[in-house]
Order: sequence, then structure tokens, then C-alpha cells
Amino acid sequence: MKSFDTGLERESLICARCGYCQAVCPVFETLGWESTGPRGRMLIARAAAQGHVLSPDQAQRVYQCTLCGHCREVCSTRIDTVSIWAELRKRLAEQGHLSDRPLAALRDNLLAAGNITGDAAENRLLWQENLEPTQSFSSQLAGVEVVYFVGCVASLYPQVSAIPASLASLLRRADISFTTLGSGEKCCGFPLIAMGLPDEARRLAQENLNLVRALGARTLVMTCPTCYRTWKRVYPELLGEPLGVEVLHATEELVRLVKERRLVFKPVEGRVTYHDPCDLGRNGGLYDPPRLLIEAAPSVELVEMADSRGDAQCCGGGGNLESVDPELAAAIADRRLVQALDTGASTLITACQQCRRTLAAAARRQRVRLKVVDVVEFLAK
Amino acid sequence: MATASVDREPMALDALLGDRYTESDFERSFYRQDLAAVPSFLARLLANTEPAAVARPRTAEEVAALVRHAAARCLPIIPRAAATSTYWNSVPVRGGIVVDLNGLRGCLSLDEERLTVTVLPGTRWGELETWLGRRGCALRSYPTSAPSATVGGWISMEGYGIGSLKYGGLDRQVIRLEVVLPDGSLFEATAETNPPLSWFLAAEGTLGIITRVELAVRRQPAQTRHYLLAFPDMISLQSAIVDLAGTDPLPFLMHMSTVEHQRMLRRAGFEPPTDQPTLAVTFQGDADEVARAEALLRRAADRCGANELPADRAVEEWDNRFMALRLKRGGPTLLGAESWLPLDKLNAYNADVTQLAHRQRVNIATYGNVVSPTAASVMSLFAADESRSISYILALGLTNRLYDIALRHGGRPYGIGFWNTPYIRRAWSQALSAERRARKRQIDPLNITNPGKLYEPPAILWPPLFNAAMRMLAWMHRVTGRVS
Repeated sequence: MKSFDTGLERESLICARCGYCQAVCPVFETLGWESTGPRGRMLIARAAAQGHVLSPDQAQRVYQCTLCGHCREVCSTRIDTVSIWAELRKRLAEQGHLSDRPLAALRDNLLAAGNITGDAAENRLLWQENLEPTQSFSSQLAGVEVVYFVGCVASLYPQVSAIPASLASLLRRADISFTTLGSGEKCCGFPLIAMGLPDEARRLAQENLNLVRALGARTLVMTCPTCYRTWKRVYPELLGEPLGVEVLHATEELVRLVKERRLVFKPVEGRVTYHDPCDLGRNGGLYDPPRLLIEAAPSVELVEMADSRGDAQCCGGGGNLESVDPELAAAIADRRLVQALDTGASTLITACQQCRRTLAAAARRQRVRLKVVDVVEFLAK
Repeated sequence: MATASVDREPMALDALLGDRYTESDFERSFYRQDLAAVPSFLARLLANTEPAAVARPRTAEEVAALVRHAAARCLPIIPRAAATSTYWNSVPVRGGIVVDLNGLRGCLSLDEERLTVTVLPGTRWGELETWLGRRGCALRSYPTSAPSATVGGWISMEGYGIGSLKYGGLDRQVIRLEVVLPDGSLFEATAETNPPLSWFLAAEGTLGIITRVELAVRRQPAQTRHYLLAFPDMISLQSAIVDLAGTDPLPFLMHMSTVEHQRMLRRAGFEPPTDQPTLAVTFQGDADEVARAEALLRRAADRCGANELPADRAVEEWDNRFMALRLKRGGPTLLGAESWLPLDKLNAYNADVTQLAHRQRVNIATYGNVVSPTAASVMSLFAADESRSISYILALGLTNRLYDIALRHGGRPYGIGFWNTPYIRRAWSQALSAERRARKRQIDPLNITNPGKLYEPPAILWPPLFNAAMRMLAWMHRVTGRVS
């Protein structure tokens, strides 16, 4: 879609207050006050554009957003709302609103340790300990075809460590030589951008790019849609140069391998449904590759949820919302889980470790029998 | 009048609604506006738009308790949901409690034999259409703001939009309404009750709060076909519209665009289908009906010298049927007037608007939908900039000029709210005005439900003074425009 972005000052005036955004906003749907929807947030943007120092209440509403991009898709005046929210968060950071919020701890972890948890860099390799000896590989091996950028969540949250292990297994099966950035990998920087600190994100981006270039790989793949979108769409602008490496989401690479018949999957019985991660679908433009992969498994029955593809509801896990308001993030995930259950599927597949975490947590909270897996886990079995 | 028993002991609202009730300054400040961009000093001068509280009920019983609370204290109570109108229909003008009905949202049941759907008032029309589509049914009509406009909201307005030409107004579609009356009682209105259902249509929330709706729907049409015709001039466009609005089968949608509208689209960054006046026509029905309609369309097009544009452009027009406000990219603000106009006056109206635009040195874009065999709902818009207060205030005078033109051609403002109250005496007959005021007195003697709207202009908008002031502003706009 053509971009019309003219910056916060003019875009906040252009907003027609038609409310199309409000009708699809997961935060408005959950909290309900006019201030909690994108239309209300645009009034806050207008105040910022007029030079007002924003209040803590206004700041809280700006942070209570998953950056899912649904408001941008339906905007009657074609405002790139996600850019406006990012700019608004930048102004909040300039006004000092980060310091007294849980986001400050996240920022400090990122700046000190280069990851979202503050773990030691070596811990990024812990997921590899679960690999079979035959699946092991050396990190930072120059001359390979593919570099797998693992991302903070898959590296450092044990609940989803099966995701990188599964991708490693699939690439092995397809006889692809690959490596990772090992303990040198840094956060992609998106959490910093989402808290309005693009300059700090730039430093991490540059370090990551330098490592990838040193390996000389043709392709960089990610299982994390947020890392994917940040590398593909944000890095070139942030760093002011083309990356010189092909950036793919893992599902794109796997579809290529399926088409080349280098990967064949075992039959899977049963009904499954697929949740579109916001950063892969609406914000990344990839709707078909995960579906093609699921349907490449013989016998599987893929059923769509009531809202899917560009209309898919968010899982609540984006935009740093889990750090700002974990209860709100959980409530949004609960809503999405209801749609998954309505399909009668026994397995909910996604293509994002964060969606996998939030939706699996929702299933546990609601005590429902629904297996939540990433598409690479589903296929690696 | 059959009513449920009324509990005269009002509850504390925070006890009733918990965290769905607020008196916080921060939250209340978001309920002072609708789509209209009104400079804050002007808003403060004209009305008290600041609600004392905002409440978000989820059930009719909670709405009833809220209304009883307000009635016991003579507090204004203002129903609101998507707030997609521009006349302050859902903005307080005397303070009071805003009742946000977004929580009463959901499609309850579909009666496939009778072809009716029961729905809560905060449900979006777009959402209802999707829900019906999954069950093989469709709405008979819906607003051009269907993605956000709510069922209760559009019923409270005049309710003419896409599909109205073929299926008529909402008076032919709404079968039953559950309403919380101003005394806090729950009332089920049908055509046979006293007061009848028709009183609550287009009442702009001044006679009560709608809490449940039963609507007639239809089976999904077997076929939908879109056409886009370009005309050499407005006379031939009008002629084709009059022709097609009198045919059988009737189009589901007839949307007209003037040359000025195409020009404004381009200025806003969009590619119009052509630089000529256009008519987008959509037919729906079975194969035979659509084939007959297509033949009638081609005959009208030939007679009027129209060119048929490629099918993909026709589909694009249909896809953009909810996107009229994209014109705002050429603003950043839009001002204008929406009028109900006789079809045989469309050309004369547009000629006068063009003359006004020429005098005022602005581009005024006119477009609209044919909503009955004799009338269209027509929007005339021009770009302004609300951040430049003085020139913006002067530009407000042009809206009055636009309504004057519509009234001169037998038209009237579409929707009253607060801002169009100065036109009531010219838009409605004396008998209709008297009848409507009598209804209000009968049902809401305390004047608590959405006061200050629909019936009488406030003193500060006294029509002679208002008209003189607006003419002065328009004159100053013209003079300052020339100077600049």
C-alpha cells in the first residue's frame, strides 16, 4: 500500500476520528475507555504535536498498545499509525517517561547485556544443549549458506527453546549448512525502538550486521517475526544502507525447501488452526508461507479462525505490552484463544515464539486442552 | 404504555458499574468531541461539552439503573457509541453523564425463517454484515461508515445509506426495539405499541436509549455486479440517476462523484478513475435480475452519453465505499455540509455550489449516494486547516452557504444534532416540528435524555443571529481569501 506518512504533526490533524481503528483495536476491546483506542491515542499525539508535555496518564495509554498494526490496515485516512505510535513513544522517552516504568528495567537489560532478560551472553547457547549429537553444529562458522538469527525470546526463554531446536532439525534434514551468531548475537533492537530509543537500537543493529557480514552467508533466517520485520524493514532505514544479505522468515526458507523436495513431512492427523503473528502478517506481509507449510503435512485439516490473515486478532504479546501491563496482554491473549477454540482444532499453530508463549499461557490459564506450537515444532516432529 | 417496574432508589454508580464508571478528568476529556473539529474556545463559548462522568454499561438493566440515577437528579444523560457523526449528536452540550454503549455489543440470534436478526446496539454494522454473511444472509442496508458506526447509532440518525435505494429506510427494516425510557423503564417498541417504534427512529437518542434491536435481513444475493460510468457533464449524470432510480430492478448502490470530487481526490494523493463526473452502480440479485438491470443500465448510459469504465475501476469504487474520508489527506481538516436533496435538483445544486466555490476561491467536492427513488444524500466538502484558528472560523461560514443552497433547491440538512438546530424551521414543516416536540414532552418531561439536540436551537444559535453571523464569516472568508 502507498505510504502517505507526513509525520506526527500533520498526521494527527489528518485523523478523521472515524473510529474504524477503535472497532478492531484489541486494547480498546479489552479496556473500553475512549482513551485506550487508537482514536484516543491520536488525540494524545495531537497534544504532543502542539508541544504539550504529556501526563503520566497519557503516557500510559501510549504504552498500552501492542503495535499490532490493525488500526493502520483499516484507517480511512490511510495514516501509518504504527509510525505515529513509534514517534509518540520517542517523544515520551525524550520527556523522561521511561524512567519510572517497568520499561526502564527492560531498557537497562538491553543496554547492558544486549538482550531482553539481562542474561549473560553465553546463555544464548543454552537451547543447543537439547540437540541430539547428530544435530549439533558450530556457531559462527564462516562460509555457510544460512545464518539463523535466533532472537532473544527463543534463546532465553526455556518454554520455547524447542523452536530453535526444531528449525535446526529441519535445516539438517534438508541438508542445509547453517550457523548462528552464537553468544555474539544481540537483540534485534525492536524493544528499544518500541520504547522510543531508535539511537540505542541502531548500535545493536550495527553489531548484528557486522557479525552477519563477517560470516559471508547468502541468507539470514529468523523464526521470530519481530526480528524478521526489524531486519528486513527497519534496519536498512535505521543504518542508512542496504544490508547485502537476503532476509527471510524461516517459513519462507522452509517453503523453498519443500518446493525443491528437500523437505518432506510425515502425515499429521487431526484438525489444526493457525494464528497469524502481527509482525509476520500485517506488519511483515507474509500470510501464505506458514499455511503452505502446514498443508504440506499430509492428512492435516487446517481450519481458519473467524478473524485471520489481515483481520487476525493480536495475541497481546507485542509492543512491549507484557512489560507495561501484563494483565492487559494476558486478557488480549484470552480473547484470541476463544477464537481458536471455536474452530474445534486440537492444535493451535503459530509462527512466532512470543505468540506461542502468550497463547500457551492463555490455554493454561483457561485450563483448555489445546496444544499451542510454533510451525517449525509442528513440522519437525 | 407498557413499562417494567421502576426502582426509584438510585444506586451509587461506582457500586453498580465498578471500574466501568469514571469521573476522572483524564477519561472525561476524551468524550467532548465527535468527528467535527471545533476549536476549543468556540466549544466552550457555545456549550458545556464536558461530561460530569462516563459510564460503560454492559446490559439493558445497567442502562436502566443509570437512567434512573440521572432522572432522580435531573442530570442530562447522553448516549454514545462510535460517535461518528459531526453535529455533536452524541456530545454533551449541558454536561451530564455520557453512557458509552460500546459494551452492549454482539449479534444475538438469527431467525432464518422470518429472516430477522436480533442484535445489541453497540454492534458495528460491518461486524453484523460479516456475522450474517457467515450464515448465508446479508443486511438490507448499512451506513457508509459501517466499519465503525453502530446499529443503535444509525437507527438514532436518519439511517439512509448503501442499500436504502433498493430496500428503503430503516422504518422498513427495524421490527422491534428495546428502549430504556427517560424514567428508567424498559420498553419494547413495535409498530403497534404506544408510542410506536417509528418515534425512536431518527430521534438522535433524545427519547431514550436503545438497548436491543430486531432487524429484517435478506438472503445473500446470488450475484453482485459493479459498474462505473463517466458522464460528459452533470446534466447527463442527473438524467441517468433519475432514470435508474425509477427502474425495476433498483440498484443496491448508486454513488455519484462530481468533477470537483475527482480533483480533490487527486489533491489528496489518490488516483481518481477519471476527471469526469461518475456514477458507480452496483446491482445485486439472482442472475436474471442482474441481467435485466444491466440491460437497463446500458440503455440509460447510451441515452445519456456515458462511457463505461473498466470493471476493475468499478470494483475499486465499491471497495472504497467506506473510505470517503480519505479526502482528508488533502485537508488536513474538512468542512462541509451533508444534505438530503431531490434527485432532479442535483445538477442545479452542484452548479450553485461550484459558483460559491469560485467566489470563495476554494474547491468544493460534492459526492453522494442515491438513497430513495426521489432523493440523494449529498456531501459537499472543502479543505480547511483547524490549526489556523482565524481562517478556520471564517471558513465555517461556508457551511451555512452550502445549507442555504440545499434548502433553496428543496433539500435539507441530513441530521440535526446540535449544530444544525438553526435550520430546523426551514427544514421541517411547522406541523412536524410541533409533533416532534410533543413527543419529547410526553416521553421525557424532565428533558434529561440528550438535551439540547434536535428540537430547538439554543439561544446562542438563534437562527437570525446565527445566519447573519455565518454570512458575515463567509463574506470575510471571501475577502481575506482574495487578499491572501
